[in-house]
Amino acid sequence: MYRSKAAMIFLCLAFFSQHTLAVMLKIATASPDGTVWMEKMRQAADEIKQRTSGRVTFRFYPGGIMGNDASVMRKINVNQLQGGIIPGGGLKNIYPDSQIYSLPLIFRSYDEVDYVRSRMDEQIIKGLEQNGFISFGLSEGGFAYLMADKPVARVDDLKSQKIWVPEGDYISRSAFQTVGVSPISLPLTDVLTALQTGLINTVAASPMGAIALQWHTRIKYITDEPLAYLYGTMIVRTKAFAGLAPDDQKIVREVIGSVYKELNSINRRDNTEALKVLRDQGIQFVATDKHNQNSWRAMLEATEAKMGQEGILSQSIIDTLKKHLRDYRQNHDSSR
Amino acid sequence: MAQSPPRRRLSLLALLSLLSGCVASALQNVSDSIADAILDQNDVAIVREGLPAYLLMIDGLIEENPDDTGLLISGAKLYAFFGTELVNDNTRAGKLTEKARGFAQRALCLQQSELCGLDTLSYDRFNPALQRIGHDALNELYTYGLTWAAWLQAHSRDWNAIADRPKIEAVFERVLELDERFDGGRAHYYLGLLRSQLSPALGGKPDVGKNHFERAIELSHGQDLVVKVALARYYARMIYDRDLHDRLLHEVLQANPNVSGLTLSNTMAQQEAGHLLDESSSYFEE
Repeated sequence: MYRSKAAMIFLCLAFFSQHTLAVMLKIATASPDGTVWMEKMRQAADEIKQRTSGRVTFRFYPGGIMGNDASVMRKINVNQLQGGIIPGGGLKNIYPDSQIYSLPLIFRSYDEVDYVRSRMDEQIIKGLEQNGFISFGLSEGGFAYLMADKPVARVDDLKSQKIWVPEGDYISRSAFQTVGVSPISLPLTDVLTALQTGLINTVAASPMGAIALQWHTRIKYITDEPLAYLYGTMIVRTKAFAGLAPDDQKIVREVIGSVYKELNSINRRDNTEALKVLRDQGIQFVATDKHNQNSWRAMLEATEAKMGQEGILSQSIIDTLKKHLRDYRQNHDSSR
Repeated sequence: MAQSPPRRRLSLLALLSLLSGCVASALQNVSDSIADAILDQNDVAIVREGLPAYLLMIDGLIEENPDDTGLLISGAKLYAFFGTELVNDNTRAGKLTEKARGFAQRALCLQQSELCGLDTLSYDRFNPALQRIGHDALNELYTYGLTWAAWLQAHSRDWNAIADRPKIEAVFERVLELDERFDGGRAHYYLGLLRSQLSPALGGKPDVGKNHFERAIELSHGQDLVVKVALARYYARMIYDRDLHDRLLHEVLQANPNVSGLTLSNTMAQQEAGHLLDESSSYFEE
């Protein structure tokens, strides 16, 4: 009798433990359904579901249906969502130093990006984790270029332009302010209309972004120098992730991490193709004036100093990034 | 009196030319009848299996009559339909819609010679060129836009194709200016599709797409069921409105699909509505 009761309790425990371990992670993203991003994330979710025997499932909310980054973060904080796919700037309230790659004009080539990221991504991921969020790796959004209705080769050319910066992007806003330009801050949703109505005539965007969002129909010139590096990551609240069995956590990290590496390569290739398409569409590429390099460099230096002084970025992470860039440039002779 | 050889040759040529014209006209009639039979078919499998033979036939007819805009337009529409609706292999869809687009470009070029190479114009020059198109080239222009949209669907990962999307929208805008009711208001349907690609978070305006779909429904008196399915799929899903989504799809399933010229697409729309309804719970689940 005692033995059969014990067996019953064991069976009940086994039954309930299996069910209590089942976790659904709700993730929001601005990526529309049907894009390669969503396709890859859904494939990853299927693989995770299968490898964890259904204990870990994902539900995605694509197309920005859960609102902008700030709104997604609020929903994560009240556990309505467990995570989101967030661009670099959207992580500033979790771990401000995660914005380090967003410094304007910091990188000159993708080789520099690859060199630095292979040495610093871990630090950013660890910083996010220490502040309550698991990241499965950063993914590249590409270089943003200045795109305008007139050629912008010199810093002074910026002064006559009506320049857009994303709402809440303090680093970009500060960068333009350091050279005496007051940019116009608008949410992403309003940019195309603002270009059409002439409220703005200059944007900084990746080639993919400019085409996908149809901004390319409103620009005539691209300044042929990377202005900023765009990136993002998928974050999941540590508390939610802790609800997964350790082996399941390992599977999720492995599968999503691998997808992020793949998406990184896909975006690199797509941006390269999209840049060529912009050229083929008749958009003129303008080199920065070689006699004006000091002014462009001064813009970067003033922004770095301001971010350090105001504590937007820690001095130590700025120094780490600059050290890696110095090392790279010394070995590759890419200094201007 | 026997005719001299040169005169006989001349008459023969004239006769051949006349016969060729009669044959082309007869074939055009046959071609139109077959096209009607396809559009009025309610068994999708028959069309899927039978259409390739007809495409081969229309290829032959176009080969024989390369300047017949009627044949080019029939070929363009059917290749676009086959490539986008009945073929799952993306590489094949790419080739088929490429051919469709080629036929449509030729038809437009034949109808209005200054429009040859229209697609290669920059965006700034493209719109003014469209303004030169009148009612006499409406069918050619509409087919040109339709096949370009089909080609874009098959090349949705090609940045060159994506970059030209605003031009396709401009084509349908011009069709609306010329005759909003053309082909039962389908230009609104295509504009609805093209303008529902961006989510609100990225600057998309779902209401613009919705207005096009609703106008297309109005113009077809609710008989063109693919539009309701598109409204459910591209608008209701985007704004997460399950009530609207399910209501539209139930309306599609309850409608009579047998409408002249729309039976095939309505039958396919009902199949699609069934699939979307099956997924509804999992898509909208909180």
